[in-house]
Amino acid sequence: MQSDVMDKSNSMDKIIRIEDLTYTYPGAQQPTLSHVSLEIEKGDFLAVVGNNGCGKSTLCKVLNGLIPHFIAGEFSGSVFIDGENTLQADVGALARKVGYVYQDFENQIVRPTVLDDASYACLNYGMADYEERGREALHQCGLEGREEEYIWQLSGGQTHLLALAGAVALGPEILILDEPIAQLDPGHADRIYEVLRELNETYGKTIIVIEHHTEYIADYCKHVLLLRDGQAAWILPAGEALARVEELQESNIFPPQVTIAGFRLQKEGLLPAGCPLPTTVEEGKKALAGLTFYADGRDMQEASQTGAQTVAQFQDVKVSYRSVKGEPRVIFDGLNLSIHKGEKIALIGSNGAGKSTMMKMLVGLLRPSEGTVTLDGTVLKNVKPEALSQQISLVYQNPEEMFIKDSIYSDIAYAMQVRGVEDWQKKTEALLARFRLSELSDRDGRLLSGGQMRRASLAIGVALNPGILLLDEPTANLDIATRKEIMRTLTDMKDVTDTVMIATHDMQLVCEWAERIIVLCQGNVVADGTRDAIFGNASVVKKVGIRPPEIFSMGQALDERAFCYTVDEFLQSFRKTELFPDDRDHREPLFVSTWEQEKRYEQTGGMGQ
Amino acid sequence: MMQKLSENILDKFSMDFLRNQVLKNAYGNDDTIIAVRDPRILLVWYLFFGLVPWFVNDLPFLLGCFVLVTVTTLLARVAGLVLLLFAVGVFTQTGYLLAATILFGGDASAIAPLLVLTLKVATVSLASVTVFSGLDPDRLSNGLMWFGCPERLSFSISYAYRMLPMLMEEFQNVLLSYRLRGNPPAHNTVPGKIKYLIYQVKIIIHAFYPLMLNTAKRSRTTVEALEIKGYRYAAVNKEVRKMKLSSLKVTYDDMIFLAISFLWVAVTALVSTLV
Repeated sequence: MQSDVMDKSNSMDKIIRIEDLTYTYPGAQQPTLSHVSLEIEKGDFLAVVGNNGCGKSTLCKVLNGLIPHFIAGEFSGSVFIDGENTLQADVGALARKVGYVYQDFENQIVRPTVLDDASYACLNYGMADYEERGREALHQCGLEGREEEYIWQLSGGQTHLLALAGAVALGPEILILDEPIAQLDPGHADRIYEVLRELNETYGKTIIVIEHHTEYIADYCKHVLLLRDGQAAWILPAGEALARVEELQESNIFPPQVTIAGFRLQKEGLLPAGCPLPTTVEEGKKALAGLTFYADGRDMQEASQTGAQTVAQFQDVKVSYRSVKGEPRVIFDGLNLSIHKGEKIALIGSNGAGKSTMMKMLVGLLRPSEGTVTLDGTVLKNVKPEALSQQISLVYQNPEEMFIKDSIYSDIAYAMQVRGVEDWQKKTEALLARFRLSELSDRDGRLLSGGQMRRASLAIGVALNPGILLLDEPTANLDIATRKEIMRTLTDMKDVTDTVMIATHDMQLVCEWAERIIVLCQGNVVADGTRDAIFGNASVVKKVGIRPPEIFSMGQALDERAFCYTVDEFLQSFRKTELFPDDRDHREPLFVSTWEQEKRYEQTGGMGQ
Repeated sequence: MMQKLSENILDKFSMDFLRNQVLKNAYGNDDTIIAVRDPRILLVWYLFFGLVPWFVNDLPFLLGCFVLVTVTTLLARVAGLVLLLFAVGVFTQTGYLLAATILFGGDASAIAPLLVLTLKVATVSLASVTVFSGLDPDRLSNGLMWFGCPERLSFSISYAYRMLPMLMEEFQNVLLSYRLRGNPPAHNTVPGKIKYLIYQVKIIIHAFYPLMLNTAKRSRTTVEALEIKGYRYAAVNKEVRKMKLSSLKVTYDDMIFLAISFLWVAVTALVSTLV
């Protein structure tokens, strides 16, 4: 495997060279990186992929010298940045060669105004033209015109760009970004990657991203580095790398849906063996052009809202937030919406469209200035949120804010305990078991992994057995494998809680889970219906900037009648059934659902939790 | 009263409101006459109005100073919350002294000296309010640095203001967790209301624990980022300090501001000798 890495004989333009690097964190038993050797070319756009805890972030911190200069530990081997050994350079000198943007980038911003933060590092290193450099960096990152704004006026995507600008200002040749789009809606995510491409192509920067979203790797990256158990497995051109479907899935990386579809078609012999697998919809159009659409007889899903009892209702609701300067910001003006018993609703729309505000109104935390919010027939005007917790429950986007006790056992038990619910101990035990947290019950929620934290927050949310459950971005900030695990938990929960509403950017979750989709745009409900109604409506999709799952776009590109939301549905719709005439049973064994596959990986210990 | 208080403490007087006021106070009024003054001039100005009133007992002079700092406070468009805190602070302070005097056998003659004391406290407080909340934190910290305060202090001031809104938002969310899951005592009766008030105060105290842990978790990235951004390097570098301070400029308007203040003080001093 090492030979793959060292293959590239041309050593002229290698901006990064790592030789036999082994690193162990202080106090750790096992090395996080072991015998890593690799080279990265100048001007590359490299994606680093790998399982959780395989050493991706550690590798990046080695590159900018934080390891070993700031974080101690056992370090052997050598790292050369642009010919200079990091052991001989100090962090300051390396910062001018390698820029770093953290996953929790908002904590990286230390100054109150935009220009100030962008030029702060230059000022600290005593560059006389620090302000000019800051301005130039903001220009390169597409934040021109916002120099004087305060950082809390920026959206999530803009804050990320500012963190990037802060790194770019020092003029580094290399930029490293740790999961740049984990918290962003598709519109903002595209923006970030466009800026990165610009930096790469126009300004010649070498870009390294740690990325789980393989669709973005396919669209933007040139090479992919796979890390496995602290070792560099290979570096390959992006297309070739993504086509190694099985190998990637073993490391819990899910190639683009189009690639998976191609891979499975190839396995079934419907695509010629050996031909390159498509990685984007564009490539898919060519590679899969031979497929014909085979109507699956499935009717368009119709909304079935008649009859069901209304459990929550917004009537002419107007609500606004105080702003630091000037007029209050109006979020909703004349919102009307009804939620019925038993519905599984996905609430979608870009950042700032009002999703969280709507949820806060439902649980009584926020009161509309005009209009009424009704819950189970009661108008929420003088009702305290405490009184509603048996009826409705809200799980925050940030699970840390739900941990108010020092162990997840007491966190889950808290609401039942203070209400004197009968058998609360037993019920807590049952919830812990249900969410697979029994072994962690005495741990502090903050110290759990991302997926465990999410599960704990869900358990807290359903503890009082509320009739309505609201979830704010339950899959944000999770890597794909953990995300799928949470999606499975949500599906399991369908029969526990009656009415569920999820605010999310995650279209795969929307398509696989939701029965009703509500689209918000600038405080208005612009669409409301089933997934077919929403994604089939091109004008809404375009207006709101929602992006259907890739496989849906692929299906549409091949045939407008195709509405397939998962790879399975896609294969079902496009398989040339003539190959298996009158032999429907024959199709079954070929059909391994993605979930079953994942379960198998989980059993073989692939989850890495 | 008790009902009002127990309703208000979490509802009207919400963290959202507090956060808004803090931000408004720090950055919402960066275009006022006071905010654009050179911070060094304002600090010198403050040195006078923050110290002199303590040593002078002349009523017309004190009144004159009071009027001047009231005008500057109004010009600085200080947030309502700060003014409220100021008013409560000053009057509880001297009001309590008055109560103590009367309780221990004093009579009405104590009122006059107490009024003078109130005037002094009020003048000095308003001068502080003008300078420390009229200026935005960055200009203030630059001014302090010019006078030789360590870089670390001035960084802390602006960093605290950068963090405060985030901390308050997080605190608000933790409090909401308590509210949504907690089971407050019934508060229809008077003892119930008192219990409810105690419950709320208790929750606020409890909520600090998760807040601290969450903050500790965040600060790891911040510390590393500061290292990369050369914060340590800059703290010991004289050149950087010079560059930071080079943005300070005393303008014509600053001089006019000082001149008017001086003139006004001179006039009040003159009046007091004439009276």
